[in-house]
Amino acid sequence: MRHYIKVELLRMLRNKRYVIFVVAFPVGFYLLYANLWGAEADQTTGLRGSVLLMVSMAAYGALAAAMMSTAVPWSQERHSGWLRQLQITPLPGRAIIATKLVSSLLLVLPSLLLVGLAAVLTQHVTLSPLRWVELILAMWAGTIPFAALGLAIGSLLPPDTAQPVAMIGMFGLALLGGLWFPESIMPAAMRSIAHLTPSYDYASIGWRIAAGQAPHAADAAGILVWGVALVALALVAYRRATART
Amino acid sequence: MNAIAFTEVTKRYGDVLAVDGIDLEIPAGATVALLGPNGAGKSTSINMLLGLLRPTSGEIRVFGEPPDRAVAAGDVGAMLQEGELIPELTVAETVDFVRRLYPRPLPMEEILRVADLTDIAGRRADRLSGGQTQRVRFALAIAGGPRLLLLDEPTAAMDVESRRTFWDNMRAYAARGRTILFATHYLEEADENADRVVVIARGRVVADGSAAEIKASVASQAVSFLLGEQPVAGLDALPGTTGVELQGGRVTLRTTDLDATVAALYRKTTLDIRDLQLHGADLEDAFLALTKET
Ligand SMILES: Nc1ncnc2c1ncn2[C@@H]1O[C@H](COP(=O)(O)OP(=O)(O)OP(=O)(O)O)[C@@H](O)[C@H]1O
Ligand SMILES: [Mg+2]
Repeated sequence: MRHYIKVELLRMLRNKRYVIFVVAFPVGFYLLYANLWGAEADQTTGLRGSVLLMVSMAAYGALAAAMMSTAVPWSQERHSGWLRQLQITPLPGRAIIATKLVSSLLLVLPSLLLVGLAAVLTQHVTLSPLRWVELILAMWAGTIPFAALGLAIGSLLPPDTAQPVAMIGMFGLALLGGLWFPESIMPAAMRSIAHLTPSYDYASIGWRIAAGQAPHAADAAGILVWGVALVALALVAYRRATART
Repeated sequence: MNAIAFTEVTKRYGDVLAVDGIDLEIPAGATVALLGPNGAGKSTSINMLLGLLRPTSGEIRVFGEPPDRAVAAGDVGAMLQEGELIPELTVAETVDFVRRLYPRPLPMEEILRVADLTDIAGRRADRLSGGQTQRVRFALAIAGGPRLLLLDEPTAAMDVESRRTFWDNMRAYAARGRTILFATHYLEEADENADRVVVIARGRVVADGSAAEIKASVASQAVSFLLGEQPVAGLDALPGTTGVELQGGRVTLRTTDLDATVAALYRKTTLDIRDLQLHGADLEDAFLALTKET
């Protein structure tokens, strides 16, 4: 299984779409936005723009990585016959989905770490070592629901539908989560929907930690509930997709 | 021990009966061709042997165990009829990944050599030709050194030269006491590469034996000669004869045993035989006769 994870990482790192959306986009936008608004302070969180944007862009990159490394590749593997190729080896079926999940979580790290590094190097963002560790761990573990959502999409849809659905899901979640614009400029109706999304919970946990505050219980509960529900959905969808008839 | 045993196996997809009561035993060490036209049930049978599909009724055993167990134990390798590779991985990475999933894999160099991939080992899967992809899929099938190798139309997409090399490599693999079952529509392939041919059509086994036995079983051999004005009576009683046709003074005897029919023609009749011609059966005729809709 270790070798299987290695192979999964290798292929995604060679995948142009992954590298562009997941590594280049968040770092590029961070550099751009931080130059424009890095010095301003945000009223709600009290964070300096350069820190707020670091969390937003890292959150976007992590969310994108979790979904891009799962939905379409997995749907393609089911349809191209690669899944069957694996099913006729001694590899147990549950190792396939476990590997997909673990690999996806590892593929989240480049965007988290590179955005953080860009923030430190270009905007001289400083946090205490403990705060960095908390922030990275929370933002890392918080991508589990998105990876599970990507796997569920890959299990339920054929590649040509999985592709747009994953894209819309990814940008939709990023927008509603306030990763691109602050929620304060959203219309009221949109804001109430936004509050229900896991990406909103995810980002607010990140902002709170960056500001040195404990996350809101509602956000933690929200992402936990989403996590449990989406992991369950992913497992059910996986069983359905790999059932032998 | 039997490598493969089918007991009254059927498989139904909705209202299509793809496999209609197959009983089949293949001893370990045999190389067997599964010969049949499109839609005969070859792929369905192979996928059931791999545990990818479950029989609707009946039982399948692989080395005495249910297919899933044999697959999990690394005893089975297969080349499915269709399947793509992971585009971003090279040939060597793909093969190495799959071989490590097996408990007793073949050495990497041996796999690459037997599948004729040494020269393209570093190439990415999305830059391979159709025939090269087939060779990689063969490499994946043998990577775990399985005791049973299942090949579903393995030479589709290969040119004549690659086909020849492929079968040479397959025979080299079989030579070490391994069991091989391959599906094909190519009659010569079955004849040249298998010691036993199982012909299936419409989900049933319609013939089973060596290529020679199958030819013999369908009475498509014939002897013909000029009869002129002589009487035709009694010719249908000659040994092996299954039919007599008379056309413009030339008579044609269809027979299951050409040698016996010809010997009896000279020894047991007093006919004046002129311009004798023998027509041997080829496997093609046998195949068409066996699988045609009845
Ligand atoms: N998933 C499926 N759903 C419905 N019918 C199917 C399915 N798979 C196969 N069939 C039908 O079952 C029959 C046997 O198909 P199978 O693929 O086993 O044939 P085959 O001998 O491998 O043919 P070919 O030489 O074309 O590969 C065919 O009539 C086919 O249409
Ligand atoms: Mg087939």
